[in-house]
Amino acid sequence: MTDALVQNLLNGVASGGVYALVALGYTLIFSVLGVINFAQGALFSLGGYLTYLLMGGRIGVNGALPGVTLPVSLPFWLALPLAAALSGLAALVVERIAFAPLRRRRAEPLLSLITSLGAGVVLVNLLQILMGAEGYAFPASALASLPVSLAIGEARIRTLQVVLLIVCALAVLALTLWLDHSRSGRALRAVAEDATTARLLGINSDRMVRLAFWISGVLAGLGGGLIGVSVSLAGPYFGMTFGLKGLAVLVLGGLGSVPGAIAGGLLMGLVEAFVPSHLSGWRDAVAFAILLVVLLLRPDGLLGRRAVEKV
Amino acid sequence: MLVLLGQRNDPASARLDPDQPLTIGAVIALTGNANLYGQDQRLGLDLARRWFHAQGQARSVEPAPLLRLEDGASDEASAIAAFNLQINHGAIALIGPTLSQQAFAADPIAQRRGVPVLAPSNTAKGIPQIGPFISRVSAQSSVIAPLSVAEALRRDPAIQRVAVFYAQDDAYSTAETDIFQQALLRRGLTPVSIQRTQLADNDFQTPITAALRQRPQLVVISAQAVDGGNLIRQLRELGYRGQIVVGNGLNTPNIYPICQRFCDGILIAQAYSPELASPINQAFLTLFRRGQPDQSPSQITAQAWTAYQVLTEAIERLQRRNGFHQLTLAQARRALNNELLAGRYDTPLGPIRFRPDGEVVQGRFYVAQVQMQADGRRGRFTLVRDITLDQPQPATRRER
Repeated sequence: MTDALVQNLLNGVASGGVYALVALGYTLIFSVLGVINFAQGALFSLGGYLTYLLMGGRIGVNGALPGVTLPVSLPFWLALPLAAALSGLAALVVERIAFAPLRRRRAEPLLSLITSLGAGVVLVNLLQILMGAEGYAFPASALASLPVSLAIGEARIRTLQVVLLIVCALAVLALTLWLDHSRSGRALRAVAEDATTARLLGINSDRMVRLAFWISGVLAGLGGGLIGVSVSLAGPYFGMTFGLKGLAVLVLGGLGSVPGAIAGGLLMGLVEAFVPSHLSGWRDAVAFAILLVVLLLRPDGLLGRRAVEKV
Repeated sequence: MLVLLGQRNDPASARLDPDQPLTIGAVIALTGNANLYGQDQRLGLDLARRWFHAQGQARSVEPAPLLRLEDGASDEASAIAAFNLQINHGAIALIGPTLSQQAFAADPIAQRRGVPVLAPSNTAKGIPQIGPFISRVSAQSSVIAPLSVAEALRRDPAIQRVAVFYAQDDAYSTAETDIFQQALLRRGLTPVSIQRTQLADNDFQTPITAALRQRPQLVVISAQAVDGGNLIRQLRELGYRGQIVVGNGLNTPNIYPICQRFCDGILIAQAYSPELASPINQAFLTLFRRGQPDQSPSQITAQAWTAYQVLTEAIERLQRRNGFHQLTLAQARRALNNELLAGRYDTPLGPIRFRPDGEVVQGRFYVAQVQMQADGRRGRFTLVRDITLDQPQPATRRER
């Protein structure tokens, strides 16, 4: 009984860490611009593919460049942050194409939902054209020096899940420290609080918006690379599934709340892990039903603040 | 008025032009999550087309049928759209679609319009029973799947505890797991754990650890290549060391890059073995290995070749007897359907024929084991048992 409890806790925390990472990307954009970037899932996919390519992965037979590899073959610990940084650059392109023009025209925020969704679909389709629709697994040598699984009593966890959890925790910690204690982090929070006042205080809000997009892209890319090495890349659309889950976590935790995103991600992961095994096929349905219940009881999410209308 | 316009646009009512080659339409998954199978099928069709065109030219049999490929993607709506497109373009017969789930949606359309459909990879129960124009070269999973369970139990007769995994949102996998579970029950084995997954799942830690708590000695999986490959990898990573039996969804070398060295040792029953020593299989292997030296074709590639071969040979027999003379396309489709069901074929799968209801009659099956090379990225299905089954009883003849 205790072993099963420990096992489910481990499973839940490992899944929840990734959900939290994805949700944090949404949270940053939402807190600064008040909109949701639907391209986040596509950036997640991109991060996975870039990590694969930077590690010397070969493009499959269905891609536009079958059999091609990059002239580099980096170790995982180097390929992952590099791929995440490049995903951040892709997020800047998304911002420039899907968000900036609408912001300049002061268009309805709803419109950016559609433009970002469009940007995401285009990005995923580009991935499919270039890489093909097949699944990719990372080289067997990725993290081969580690044992494949670890035992905690009778419970077992895959080592890759532990790595994933540690990287997620470090990323969340770094982001929280940066937001709370750095000058640029505080500037970003000021823009999130009130862009006009922040501008009057001399903060370049456009630069802060771009910074938020870059960081959200980095988080998505990091998540994609970690999931890729953990369970393989199941085709260009694989990030969209995580994107949707991250969106649910964003709402569950409270829109725009960093602690909420973390708590929501962990709760979602744990709920999924504790779904009884005979209902395992309905894990998503159970998780979303609980989301519904939480939102009925707390419409602003777990740690969300009720929005105050400014007049 | 609409009926008249419809008739005018329907090529089925036009007489065949003897100077124009007939067209075989193929609807296979070139995109979506079944794309891996579609690529294998495209290769099989292409090799067969090249081989039979060369053979036809050598025997001065003209005109050889054309092959027109259409992407049926991996969903039902795309398969229906592709079927309609091929039928409206005047295909005399169709090969496809890739997935049984798609077949249940798209085949009734061809059936209603009187177009023969020859399925190369649909193994779910009930496919030929959709109608008289539907047949298949892919033996149904109820015949094949139990063979691998039997092999696992032959290797370890002491097995008592079996865990079952299946993708619950996939029609094929749910049908196949029923067959596996019935085969287990017939041997007195009730699964100690049944885990339902989904095709889009990629993290199986929770269902695997739930199953492993029951200490299974055998794991039986019905899933598709990507999710199933991931499941196998994670099973091994989480410490499962027993035998793994997998279904037809994992019957492709495309699983090698997914489960890598962890694919080693899995058992699978197959309708094709590269080791069959017949002239047609040797021709198939030679052509295949020109493009991919040192590799062996998958069952799906061999079945796609077979589907093309059956249709081409049936068309050729009719052409020799001047059987298409003065026929409309609709009449030619019906004549071809009767001809293909009446024939016997020596194919890479071995000798096959059809029951009157369109079900393939195939006598030889194989149990293979995946053997991975040291690099963990390349492997092969190694033949472990060659099984000759009694011929299935003919079904009740029905009107065609």
